[in-house]
Amino acid sequence: MPVVDVNPDELRRLTGKEDKSDAELKNDLFNLGLEYEGETEDGEMQLEFAPDRLDRLSVEGVARSLRYQYGDDRGVYVPNTNDADWVFEVDESVPDERPYVTGAIVRGVNLTDDALDSIIQLQEKLHATMGRKRAKGAIGIHDLTMLKGEVLSESSTANSITYKGIEPDGDRFVALDSDAELTPADVLAQHDTGKKYADLVSEYERYPAIYDEIGLFSFPPVINGRRTEVTTDSRDLLIELTGTDQWTIDHMCNIICYALDARGGTIEDVEVHYPHADGPYSESGAELLRPDFELNEKSVTHDAIEGMLGIELSSDDVVDLFERSGLDATYTLGKDVTYTVSVPPYRVDVLHAYDLIDDVGRAYGFNELEPTYPDVGTVGGRHERTRIEDAARASLVGLGFEDLLNFHMISAEENYDRMRIEPGTDSLGAGEPVVITGPYSEDYTQLRSWVLPSLMMVLENNTHRSYPQDLTEIGLAAKVDTDENTNVSEHRSIGAVLARHDATYEDAKARLQALCDDFGVAIETPAIEHPSFIPGRVASIVVDGAQVGVVGEIHPAVLVEHDLELPVSAFELDLAALNK
Amino acid sequence: MRLPESQLAVLEAASATESISVDRLADNTGLKPETVTRAAFDLRDDGLVSIDETVQTSAEITAEATEYLEDGLPEVRLYRAAIDAGADTEPVQMGQLIGASGLAGPQVNIALSNFARKGYGSIDSGAVSADPDADPDTDPEHNALAGLADGETVADEDILAQLERRDLIVRSEQTVRSVTLTDDAVTALMEGIEVAETVDRLTPEMLTSGEWDDVEFTEYNVAADAPSIEGGRKHILRQTADRVKDVLVGMGFKEMEGPHADADFWINDCLFMPQDHPARTHWDRFALDVPPIQSVPEDLVERVEDAHRNGVGEDGDGYHSPWSRGFAEAIALRGHTTSLSMRYLSGYAGADIEPPKRYFSVEKVYRNDTLDPTHLLEFFQIEGWVMAEDLSVRDLMGTFEEFYAQFGITDIQFKPHYNPYTEPSFELFGTHPTTGELVEIGNSGMFRAEVLEPLGIECDVMAWGLALERLLMLMYGFEDIRDVHGTLCDLELLRETEVLY
Repeated sequence: MPVVDVNPDELRRLTGKEDKSDAELKNDLFNLGLEYEGETEDGEMQLEFAPDRLDRLSVEGVARSLRYQYGDDRGVYVPNTNDADWVFEVDESVPDERPYVTGAIVRGVNLTDDALDSIIQLQEKLHATMGRKRAKGAIGIHDLTMLKGEVLSESSTANSITYKGIEPDGDRFVALDSDAELTPADVLAQHDTGKKYADLVSEYERYPAIYDEIGLFSFPPVINGRRTEVTTDSRDLLIELTGTDQWTIDHMCNIICYALDARGGTIEDVEVHYPHADGPYSESGAELLRPDFELNEKSVTHDAIEGMLGIELSSDDVVDLFERSGLDATYTLGKDVTYTVSVPPYRVDVLHAYDLIDDVGRAYGFNELEPTYPDVGTVGGRHERTRIEDAARASLVGLGFEDLLNFHMISAEENYDRMRIEPGTDSLGAGEPVVITGPYSEDYTQLRSWVLPSLMMVLENNTHRSYPQDLTEIGLAAKVDTDENTNVSEHRSIGAVLARHDATYEDAKARLQALCDDFGVAIETPAIEHPSFIPGRVASIVVDGAQVGVVGEIHPAVLVEHDLELPVSAFELDLAALNK
Repeated sequence: MRLPESQLAVLEAASATESISVDRLADNTGLKPETVTRAAFDLRDDGLVSIDETVQTSAEITAEATEYLEDGLPEVRLYRAAIDAGADTEPVQMGQLIGASGLAGPQVNIALSNFARKGYGSIDSGAVSADPDADPDTDPEHNALAGLADGETVADEDILAQLERRDLIVRSEQTVRSVTLTDDAVTALMEGIEVAETVDRLTPEMLTSGEWDDVEFTEYNVAADAPSIEGGRKHILRQTADRVKDVLVGMGFKEMEGPHADADFWINDCLFMPQDHPARTHWDRFALDVPPIQSVPEDLVERVEDAHRNGVGEDGDGYHSPWSRGFAEAIALRGHTTSLSMRYLSGYAGADIEPPKRYFSVEKVYRNDTLDPTHLLEFFQIEGWVMAEDLSVRDLMGTFEEFYAQFGITDIQFKPHYNPYTEPSFELFGTHPTTGELVEIGNSGMFRAEVLEPLGIECDVMAWGLALERLLMLMYGFEDIRDVHGTLCDLELLRETEVLY
């Protein structure tokens, strides 16, 4: 879940609640769904919250939400915007993989150190969440005074920048945190930030690049140029976002604009000119005016709100609660009261009327609701599969086994090699492995195909504990099976080991028989060969002509491999065999 | 009268006029002293003897003392060397004397510390003066040791205490018991006493022959410790799961069952998790190297895809995320058992889904996390849902209050939360029963329309999830879950953990 670092003094200032103690703030934040996790070295509060309200990824957004909660602000707020003076031209050459751009101009921002830190944090947090680590959307913020717009035509006073695609070595620029003029390909190979984000564009035929009249100044989604770097002296900013989805970058842009508006900035529109209205631009059209502060409208009935919250409310109460959530609502009187709710453009979480009911509930205070136990009668019960598993476990525990619980994931080495079997052979446990794609840990690379390897590992890790160690586990084992819908056959297997100074084949078989007798299952044990067991002391477990398990004395080579200094007899049996 | 053989022997060896010690009785009867003692106590309980107890102190000389008896006490050896070197007239350097005396190691310090104490002379600035009047041949400590070695007793308490301080003797106290016959015993002996046979074990033969009625059973030391044994027991996490299942079945929930390896469709797409959600990247999930699922209900896939792309309802919105059928059909280990809920709610698992219904499972889920004391790559998730007409969040709160109250957690707080598949959503917090900390104990909510409509559900469904291991750690106070669950488990911990019920 996202964590945002918030300076409590900034929060007090931006909410206008200078006298709130830290403890009061924490409590107010918890009620908003922001959990205090601790503080940074600089004394900032670390607040964790669920990734729905991404407009709260900075102190400005958190303060806005608190002001609504305190009732100091009500209803929808939309910043005024000035007319466009800049045009974002998109060239035909723009990379197919990243065709979209958006942005805004913000003038007169008061960038204190705290404000600059906050905007940088917001940018990073938006990259990590909505931007999907910059793959879906990436933000560049530039000092506008360092840009020189291209003059589009003699009749227009508008300036323009151009988003295009260039050859990896097609141009050179000085990137942030660098002194050298590098090509985009050089940046990916040599610059720390370039290396970090190289995977995003290295497969592209042409690299994304943004130009003004002076030249290349941004290499999205990787890094900006040093020329337009924003400092505390910057007053006028150009914001550009590129990405793979127009809606996503437009809303990331809105969240940034609202934060800068809270820092005293004036928002100015920009025009986005796509090369045509086909293909990727068929939904947006060729010409856009951004940022897009249009309100989203949703409707929800009074009954749905009362039904979900389980309380009665007047229509005026509901409107009040909407307004305290930063929403506007109107309603039509009549038999079925329906609210038409306006949602501000920084909200990215409102997909359905349910989301509006949630806002009403939060504004009302969910913890104010009186819990009730639902008056709904149903009959409970256990599934047959877990009932037989429990019954088998009870029998084994009665026979003196200590019941264990191991991981279903294992390594091929433990599952096969250390047990002396080879995958794909006939031996029980040697089924074709269900392998994890690109595993991170070499200890967990596949699902186990039988249970005994897990029990042998427990014996190996407990040689310092007292004997006898009679252990059992009933748990999942799996192998590839293309007759199954999922192509994985899963079954519950019973594993049992007797580790004691005088363990013999008979000890294992006696307990196996006792278990099967409990379930009225008759077994035969014809001799077989199995590399995990001593030749001549191992048998197949056969029920009604079908092989369902193996019983025997573990091979000394397996014991030595597991650092064991005493004999072990064992059996493994498919749980389904007990289900007649 | 009938008495066991040992008691009769003691009775016969004892006297009515003389008090005879247990040791002497043992010698006379040929029994072990402890057998005589036990017999004597039994006889006393029957009123046949009286027992006098006196406490005797004895002293035994140590190995060090034996050595000194041979070589002389270190301080005496120092004195003799000093006299030989003329230290009775002129102080002699210590180094010289030590060489001459043959003292070595710790004996040097022993000699020096006792030399002055016992008046053999004085030591000043490393030079030794010897007192010409001292008489080493009558050294009382030496004589006492020699006496003890010969089996004599030493009465001088000061000397004994000094020797004990020097670790030259070990003193012990012993209770000496002496036995005297009572009048009843004399009478009984005159009347004649038969021997009652004692047996160690009751045998089948004794029972069938009736012989058991004529024998006395040897008494055991029933207060002594028995050897320790380990019985079989159900794993404590299974016990915890059982308790959860009991509670849920009691609340009217039925158990679900389904595959661990499943299509992402059931694990995530049905749950309205966008395909580019961070939890669906390969960092978080365990994808499997097997072919895609062979069949999913075609109409359901279409409805789910439509919900992702366009939302549901008249003014609903979808996600602005890519959606591919290939990803939906890929097989992975389930990251939550909500995949089972989806299978059941869709009717695909064969369940009747007419409301009202309550379902649960306590089954394993798989998360690609970092293994540490509180996180496992696979753990048990408690999953539950209630389907009924007109459920409100108050019903959800009431259900969870009831559930957690069964585990002693009675002050649930509901923190508004966000899940892609529920709205409203709540994280549940409760106070730890022993530490008093506020801890997260579950995640819950009302399933969204985007989840329910494609499944064809027209009523309300509330759901929640919780890690069983978290409940276990709360109940037992374990600090490292790896000691309990997995092949690194500690058998001793599992054996010694107290049963909770």
